[in-house]
Amino acid sequence: MSHRSDALPVPSGQTRSQVLRDQSIYTQLLEVTRHLQQTMREHFVQLMSRQGLLQERRHTQAIREQEALLSRLLCQMINLLQSGATGGLELQVPLPSEDSRDDVRYGQGTQLSGQPDPVPQLSDCEAAFVSRDLSNRGIGIYALYQLSFQDYNAYQKDKYHKDKNTLGFINLGTSENKLCIDLMAERLQESDMNCVEEALLQYPDWRGQPFLREEVARFLTYYCRAPAPLDPENVVVLNGCCSVFSALAMVLCDPGEAFLVPTPFYGGFAFSSRLYAKVELIPVHLESKITAINTYPFQLTVDKLEEALLEARLEGKNVRGLVLTNPQNPLGDIYSSDSLMKYLEFAKRHDLHVIIDEIYMLSVFDESITFHSVLSMKSLPDRSRTHMIWGTSKDFGISGFRFGALYTHNKEVASAVSAFGYLHSISGITQHKLCQLLQNTEWIDKVYLPTNCFRLREAHKYVTAKLKALEIPFHNRSSGLYVWINLKKYLDPCTFEEEQLLYRRFLDHKLLLSCGKAYMCKEPGWFRLIFADELPRLKLAMRRFCDVLEEQKQDLIAKQLEDAIRE
Amino acid sequence: MFTLPQKNFRAPTTCLGPTCTQDLDGSHGDDLEGECSRKLDQKLPGVGDPATLSSDTSYLSSRGRMIKWFWDLAEEGYRTYHMDEYDEDKNPSGIINFGTSENKLCFDLLSRRLSQSDMQWLEPSLLQYPDWRGHLFLREEVAKFLTFYCKSPVPLKPENVVVLNGGASLFSALATVLCEAGEAFLIPTPYYGAIIQHVCLYGNVRLAYVYLDSEVTGLDTRPFQLTVEKLEMALREAYSEGVKVKGLILINPQNPLGDVYSPEELQEYLVFAKRHKLHVIVDEVYMLSVFKESVGYRSVLSLERLPDPQRTHVMWATSKDFGMSGLRFATLYTENQDVATAVASLCRYHGLSGLVQYQMAQLLQDHDWINQVYLPENHARLKAAHTYVSEELRALGIPFLSRGAGFFIWVDLRKYLPKGTFEEEMQLWRRFLDNKVLLSFGKAFECKEPGWFRFVFSDQAHRLRLGMQRVRQVLAGKSQVAEDPPSLSDPGAK
Repeated sequence: MSHRSDALPVPSGQTRSQVLRDQSIYTQLLEVTRHLQQTMREHFVQLMSRQGLLQERRHTQAIREQEALLSRLLCQMINLLQSGATGGLELQVPLPSEDSRDDVRYGQGTQLSGQPDPVPQLSDCEAAFVSRDLSNRGIGIYALYQLSFQDYNAYQKDKYHKDKNTLGFINLGTSENKLCIDLMAERLQESDMNCVEEALLQYPDWRGQPFLREEVARFLTYYCRAPAPLDPENVVVLNGCCSVFSALAMVLCDPGEAFLVPTPFYGGFAFSSRLYAKVELIPVHLESKITAINTYPFQLTVDKLEEALLEARLEGKNVRGLVLTNPQNPLGDIYSSDSLMKYLEFAKRHDLHVIIDEIYMLSVFDESITFHSVLSMKSLPDRSRTHMIWGTSKDFGISGFRFGALYTHNKEVASAVSAFGYLHSISGITQHKLCQLLQNTEWIDKVYLPTNCFRLREAHKYVTAKLKALEIPFHNRSSGLYVWINLKKYLDPCTFEEEQLLYRRFLDHKLLLSCGKAYMCKEPGWFRLIFADELPRLKLAMRRFCDVLEEQKQDLIAKQLEDAIRE
Repeated sequence: MFTLPQKNFRAPTTCLGPTCTQDLDGSHGDDLEGECSRKLDQKLPGVGDPATLSSDTSYLSSRGRMIKWFWDLAEEGYRTYHMDEYDEDKNPSGIINFGTSENKLCFDLLSRRLSQSDMQWLEPSLLQYPDWRGHLFLREEVAKFLTFYCKSPVPLKPENVVVLNGGASLFSALATVLCEAGEAFLIPTPYYGAIIQHVCLYGNVRLAYVYLDSEVTGLDTRPFQLTVEKLEMALREAYSEGVKVKGLILINPQNPLGDVYSPEELQEYLVFAKRHKLHVIVDEVYMLSVFKESVGYRSVLSLERLPDPQRTHVMWATSKDFGMSGLRFATLYTENQDVATAVASLCRYHGLSGLVQYQMAQLLQDHDWINQVYLPENHARLKAAHTYVSEELRALGIPFLSRGAGFFIWVDLRKYLPKGTFEEEMQLWRRFLDNKVLLSFGKAFECKEPGWFRFVFSDQAHRLRLGMQRVRQVLAGKSQVAEDPPSLSDPGAK
């Protein structure tokens, strides 16, 4: 699975309300800037023609560079202003910030806020720069990526290390399991892993090497408890679950068509479906409140699905499918086989495909809970429209391997997805390692899974105890690598802007979390916190977490006091 | 919408994804056209859009049906070959593959190198989500490697490098970020036909062909010569047809011609592109597979000054030069940070394993092994294989082109086509396949003259011998030739 930190398509910088307030100023500024740019261009055209006559090439070159720089700067300004003025745009670009986030984005802890350094300022605006060289969709991809990954990239450049970089970022935002690296490293260094055969170095079967597809089929048959052996011909392996999802979206939908997704929902797929396939995700909003129909928080019911579908259809949307994640991300919920059956029947009733992502299926760490894979069902309501995705990123903690598998009973779909094989292919050498890994069920059952579950449980226990001490409500589940926590009480007012500010405050303290907005959560104030990290790091992270909340609390009190005095 | 350009639909062989990717380009050209008209006749008389085929029973979207339709036809050919692959012991009467451009001459060297202990290193960060541009350690090695082997006048920079899982992915990503749907790249033909599929599948980008011919006319000095005049003409033509051209794709060393562009020519093409504000994608995937010293290959990165560095994007991969098409490693080098970042934005779909990235870094930094062991041996073996096949062809009196780069010889079999049509080209190709030797035919490279074939020679001697024997048999059976074979200057035969 690709980077599931799923950071958030959230506009940074000024809030929307601020932007709207200043809109008239922006409009004027825009005019001025446009005019300025025009003038400059003419000026440089003149300059250059004169220089050309004088044959002062070097000088001309310098002027050209200067012009390029200036026009780039001006483009940035215009774009910034435009994006600011249309705050509702999906691809809103980060505004140049006067706040203290610069250091976060660049991992330059030394930089003083409020004293803009010209060089970082330039790159700060990069997403806003309307490139002359990219296509419009290229710019869109660029901007979406910058928005979604800038904090992740900052983390990549400034990772915490216990000796070398104690002030670096700790990442409890990206869903990675770092608890069993020792076991995996040991396993991967065994002699059976290193194989260099001629066939591995040559063009593969683009659906995946037959030996790997056979192994995946066997593995899923066993761990999903399939009633009958699964067929390797129904397996397609690609370099990650996002690739699988992207290819599925391409072949199941035409551009502009849509999938239903219950939210909160893993944001990475939203990124995938938008980027290449141009498929829309229509949220089925779930609520935290317990009511007559909602027997537990964020419960998914068929009524809600029906309602969302009807609404979408009334709006003229062509809904082609339903996307489910089980175990759920970020909730950690597991669907009972009854509920799952109802969702599948709902889909069948409306001729919808069901894409079901079971990437956390082996990360259920409470033995009393039974996970029911969709592949375990004796009779699927609509076999030809049920497509299951699984990968090793989460359950085996090897997101860097780039492996995702599709299992579908529909040969037509499998074959169409295969057409994307050469764009999402996996190295033969890696395919061999994966095959060896999946094959060794003895090691998985006796060594890896018990240890992994134990460590997940311990880490979960540690984090939830802290949360309880802080009296922070959370969704207490026993699967996945995360807890879904409610920080509403730290937001005043309880808005997405405040959620974003709190998120930023965590970043300022070098702690990366994911906020609810990134999961299309309807209610502000929810965060996802990854606990699958080693204890020393986790401890430090929780200390930073507490510090931030304490700071936030003090601010709230101060603010309330101020308000009280004013009244 | 996923729409294929009309031109390509009429000549669909070039659109066959995996077939072309694997250079089994020819496998199903005729089937596709046949299939197409057959299906259209049966189901949708008079309708020319295959996307609507069998929509009543399909679970797929219309673009999904289109994608699958092309894929199946292609895949079928690929499977035919794989179901009956030649094996010296197990299947001596199986198909010999002269179609796929793979270097099978140096597996022994590679396997030894990849099995050395430095390759087995493992650290946690290799198992976790990477920097999507590629791990920094690898990008640093790539920059050093390209600086050295492309003879760059200045050190190349790691921040200009983006690493992906193969050249196909790179074409796809570049097409997506440089062009809008429906826009086009210019490409001189004959060309490596899989590119249309790479740029089309996700990006829905077209190709505008610069047709070259074998006849040496005017100021040309050699067959299939690319000139700026021809580029200008093709560009004008595309514009007049309402096609917006965003860039030019150059493959150097050229595939299938086995030719290289001189630095002067390269400079002219780049200046042409700059004049029209076109991006240039230079695919140098065969840059170290120039096995004749006299050829004097120059990478675009070796040029003192690029006319338009912000619009010049260079591709390289290990698939060909290191004979590892299954390893899935390619790299982009571009000074344009917007382009690099935009391509990197797509890399979560085109990433490769951290462990493989580590191995690639180890391989690329081992200049001693590359210079002293691998390259000399590889070039010697390529040269020997090339000599064998070209002498066989000469003995048969068959003209061909090949200047000593790449894995292939561009063979002129026009005298075996009495009417000189693409149908006959296809029939001849089938006859080869029936006689268990797989070749690629010219149509798959969008060659405008029927009768050209690409022979891949980078294979073990025993397979080459058997393959050539089968080729001879087919051609002997076809010796009743057209009375007046077209003439061709034949530098390769000199």
